[in-house]
Amino acid sequence: MERWLGIFGVALTLVLGWTLWDASQQEWERYQEAYYRQAVRLAQKGSQKEWASNLRTEIRQVQLNGHTSVERCVTCHLGYDNPAFQNFAAPLRTHSALLKSHPVERFGCVACHGGEGRAVTTLEAHGQGAVAAKPLLNGKYMQVACYNCHGVNTLPPEATAGVVRGRQLVNSFFCLACHKIDGEGGEEGPDLSRIGSHRSWTWIYAHTVRPQGVVSGSTMPVFSLSRDEIQDITIYLMTLLDNRDRLRYLPLMAKRVVREPPTGAPAPVRKRATEGRVEFGYDGKKLFSGAGCNICHTVDITGGEVGPALTYIARKRNAENLERLLRDPEEILPGGKMPQLYLNDSQIHALVDYLSALR
Amino acid sequence: MIDIALVYKKVIRATVFAAELPGRFYRSVFRGNYPASVRQQLGAVVNNLVLHVHPTRVYNRSIKAQTTFGLGLICFYLFIIEWITGIFLMFYYEPSTGAAYGRILDLNYTITFGRVMRNLHRWAAEAMVVGVALHMCRVFYTGAYKPPREFNWVLGVSLLVLTLALSFTGYLLPWDQLSFWAVTVGTNIVSYAPVLGPKLRFILLGGETVGSDALLRFYTLHVIAVPAVTALIVNYHIWRVIKDGGLAHPSENRGADGDPVGQPQKSDSVVTTFPQVVYLELLVFLVLMVGLMVASLLFNAPLEEEANPLTPSNPSKAPWYFLGLQELVGYSAFWGGVGVPTLLMIYLLVLPYVDRRPAGIGVWFARERVVMIGVWTVILIGILVTTALGIYFRGPNWNFYWPWENWPGPH
Repeated sequence: MERWLGIFGVALTLVLGWTLWDASQQEWERYQEAYYRQAVRLAQKGSQKEWASNLRTEIRQVQLNGHTSVERCVTCHLGYDNPAFQNFAAPLRTHSALLKSHPVERFGCVACHGGEGRAVTTLEAHGQGAVAAKPLLNGKYMQVACYNCHGVNTLPPEATAGVVRGRQLVNSFFCLACHKIDGEGGEEGPDLSRIGSHRSWTWIYAHTVRPQGVVSGSTMPVFSLSRDEIQDITIYLMTLLDNRDRLRYLPLMAKRVVREPPTGAPAPVRKRATEGRVEFGYDGKKLFSGAGCNICHTVDITGGEVGPALTYIARKRNAENLERLLRDPEEILPGGKMPQLYLNDSQIHALVDYLSALR
Repeated sequence: MIDIALVYKKVIRATVFAAELPGRFYRSVFRGNYPASVRQQLGAVVNNLVLHVHPTRVYNRSIKAQTTFGLGLICFYLFIIEWITGIFLMFYYEPSTGAAYGRILDLNYTITFGRVMRNLHRWAAEAMVVGVALHMCRVFYTGAYKPPREFNWVLGVSLLVLTLALSFTGYLLPWDQLSFWAVTVGTNIVSYAPVLGPKLRFILLGGETVGSDALLRFYTLHVIAVPAVTALIVNYHIWRVIKDGGLAHPSENRGADGDPVGQPQKSDSVVTTFPQVVYLELLVFLVLMVGLMVASLLFNAPLEEEANPLTPSNPSKAPWYFLGLQELVGYSAFWGGVGVPTLLMIYLLVLPYVDRRPAGIGVWFARERVVMIGVWTVILIGILVTTALGIYFRGPNWNFYWPWENWPGPH
């Protein structure tokens, strides 16, 4: 009995020691120590040296929105406002010039960069930990953040080029044949109107590249899009937020409007999904691939295998039947997989002309 | 002029005083020396506030692991651990919809020992639900609820309900998607009761939906009301164990003629509570604590995104111990929400007053009780199967999925 008491007494002591050791291992302390070492080294004047050597190792944070929102990114990213750290690697590096117009004290970090502001480990703060946080926006994807506050009209075109191009691609590539965005589109796939709030950019990108790799058994086809195009589509989809996420940007935007009187430019309004739809020349053959028919249907030897081959379709369906089918697939093929494509009259006529010649 | 002899005398006296102080202090606390004789060992139990809830002597059989597996004691320890870790969490928690989730994140990310304390609180709570259920099964299968222990069984049933209430009210407090929708579903089950159901739900939530009033209400229930009632009944429950004659023992069994059957009482030797039982209880605590600490260091308590009333999670599942009921609600709202839980409660409460034949007491799976054991086991399997269905086999829209199947997404 006494022996077992001794063994488990020692075991509990060891576990408590493990807890203490675990609590004393703080990743951010290493970054702070590195920063202070460099700050002392880089200090030129005596007063700077004194300032740098008096820095304390402590968690630093920015409080926003009447102190309800806390962001501790600056605990590790200490050099963000110190111009002497231009040439250092992250996390010590100086922030870009955008910091001047977006001071951390007012905007914080998360409004633009995403991630989890309260966390103080790289894994968790950058949204890769166990707690559900979204991965940081970086590189090209920063456009999402610019667009969410500024829209497209007040920024130089290249700042939101990805959003605009992504929207054009989504609308012209007939994503809406299966997916709904803001009340418009098909029923086949899930509604994408709030996708930016529900999914991370890493998820959307991976899913668009190969849907079956992310959601097994997905019926979404693999599209022949370039890497750039998929990035732009992802950027556009990430700007489709639910009301709660959109409201997060309101306090930031309100202050901006107060400071800058309107210059006559129209207020940034989010464009409806219908705008920017690319017009085709309505050459039936080009439209067949442009509208994405070829993703499911084969003509001759090229095309998909989701729907039936159409190489000899004119033998089976006459022009009138084809037109009714394209206008409302549900009427001719009730319960079938063929989606409503929302084509206009001239598009339908061009396609019917093309298909009627296949015999 | 210094009197050497006097100084010498004073030094001696001070040394003796210092040497005697620890022993004096020990005796002042424990009302006597460390017990050496049996008589002193019996006195040690009676003379100690903590120890006097024990009988002074127990059957050797009662402290064998397979007699009780220490389940009641483990539940008691878990309750104490919940108190201590709960007080730590209360230092940081704020029951408002705007701040709650942030406080939980702070506990996880920055507060020293915050994460391990939250994990301890969570895993001890889950263990307590399991422990109380196992304890109840032990008492049933060893026939330990028969007269004169009927009322202590009733107290035990109320402790089961209070344990579930503690766990359920605590479930909402992190204010993440998981807790928000689990409590929405859980309180919906309540509202299926006829006439009173919706009113009951309104009282519980302080409104029609889960919001800031519900959070404040659940918090108050979780940290004050339910633990206070539970602590009182736990005391009553333990006190009744001695008053009802200690642990159930086969010597209490009587044959049809009213005479003792089986082994005569003398054949089971008796040990003194101090030190055997006390040390054994200490050992159970150490083992439990080591296990819980290791679990809390290795596994994090679940936490999802902040609660979003606009985006239901699909499927929305109640806490796991209510998933059997939610599974039944899938077939019939009345039977899952009201019928089955009411029948179960009635069954549990009248059981010791119906099954009172002094046979099979203190014996696992006694042959004389085969009908009662059969009924209980069927009910138990029913609960386990429906709960497992709810936990592992239900996906979006409460459709059936095998555990290895992927749910269609995005959901």
